[in-house]
Amino acid sequence: MAKIKKIVVDRNLCIGAASCVLSADTVFELDAENKAIIKLKGGVKSQDPAEKTALEDDAVADDTLLTAAQSCPTRAIFLYDEDGKQVYPS
Amino acid sequence: MEKVKYLIIGGGIAGTTAAETIPQLDPAGSCAIVSDEPYRLYSRIMLSKPNFFLEKIPFDQIWLKQPEWYTQQNITLIIGKKATALDSAAKIVTLDDGTAIAYDKLLIATGSCVRTWEIKGAEKQNIFYLRTLDHAKQIIAQVKTAQRAIVVGGGFIGFEMCDMLRLAGIDVTLVIREPHFWDPILDQHSGALIEAALEHGGVKIVHNSLIKEVVGKDAAQGVILQNDIVLPTDMIVVGIGTYCPIEWIAGSGIKASRGIITDEYLATSAPDVWAAGDGAEFKDVVLGEQIQLGNWANAQMQGKIAARNMCGAHEQFRLVSFYVTSGFGITIAFAGDIRPSEGREIIARITVDGNSLSRIILKNDRIIGATMINNTKELAVITKLIEKGAPMEHNRDKLLDPLFDLKTLL
Repeated sequence: MAKIKKIVVDRNLCIGAASCVLSADTVFELDAENKAIIKLKGGVKSQDPAEKTALEDDAVADDTLLTAAQSCPTRAIFLYDEDGKQVYPS
Repeated sequence: MEKVKYLIIGGGIAGTTAAETIPQLDPAGSCAIVSDEPYRLYSRIMLSKPNFFLEKIPFDQIWLKQPEWYTQQNITLIIGKKATALDSAAKIVTLDDGTAIAYDKLLIATGSCVRTWEIKGAEKQNIFYLRTLDHAKQIIAQVKTAQRAIVVGGGFIGFEMCDMLRLAGIDVTLVIREPHFWDPILDQHSGALIEAALEHGGVKIVHNSLIKEVVGKDAAQGVILQNDIVLPTDMIVVGIGTYCPIEWIAGSGIKASRGIITDEYLATSAPDVWAAGDGAEFKDVVLGEQIQLGNWANAQMQGKIAARNMCGAHEQFRLVSFYVTSGFGITIAFAGDIRPSEGREIIARITVDGNSLSRIILKNDRIIGATMINNTKELAVITKLIEKGAPMEHNRDKLLDPLFDLKTLL
């Protein structure tokens, strides 16, 4: 698999099932609206697309990110590689 | 006879997550999944979402794994076959085509089945249930031509089906047995908020009513209520609950009640057999009780923990899970244990305008669950309070006050 560079959560699709939090709790958490957000360096919580290098847990395994995305029941998590190509959903 | 080290019965999120977890601990261990549905893993959550039903998103969005994923992970996926017998002493599972598979470790992740109607006329066409992708396909086809629909049952499925049918422009009548929506899980106030939203969205509600007969030739054309009123219809969606299929393990020595009984490690009463997902009635370490839950996060996490324990770990399953749905401009959320059992105390936090509320459920002075209407903003903090299990003896007045910030109790 290509290396994951960018992570995007589509808030319109997210229903807060928490599957990403269970798969990768160092990367995702649910906010006050029960939508998934991304944990960035410096304790920042972001709704926006995030580069993997900006993650608080920038050493997270690509497999863990992929599992998180694949377990989302509304396919709200999008992963992109270094060439900007969508890795998941494929 | 075929033999695998890890055999998983059930190809839903619990079984598939287990199969995904096993190679992390035992890369060489062979693994097979048996599913009675003819499909790989799909999103059961999406089945009840209007965007899927009304084909506003591509059908293929339903798949959560590609076929090649199973090969890459070295998982044998056996679809369209049902497990019919388990010999837990000889460690053999038999399938409905007569195939016998021997295992070292077995996971039962068979989920739950819909409860079907047993009334006169229940065998007619155009009566639908919603649990599987095949069920959903039937409803999708019918929605295209139906003008009138009857939804039976006041629960998540009833609510979500009303939403989808109204969005499809269909006249909807909801028939519920209870005096208000979701009684006795919800109180009258919560039920009234949901019903107001349903009615505002154009759903007619018939309370305190049982349907005694479905009429029509081959297809359902109407229902007769207990008071002999006849409601005409083009389709009926029945959401009257689920049950866990346990007949096939009868005689295996595995203890079962409503579900398959497990300890806090998700181990059943038979050696080398675990259970996970909607069908597991597990020892919940947060509540200190046996409980059965039907939601995605619970099933996913149980699949993971059961798999780890099958590979030799000794980890307790510990999770406060929840489910949220929305439609008709209203949001309904449940967290933890919401069963209206004996010994529960309920504190309702109702906002001044009366339009939202959280009902906090206590047992032995600790928060064990909550139901929230239009109040999902309290879901995270209440989930944390359930996990924390702190005594609430001096906090009753605070819990009752909708303006009190629950975070200060953490």
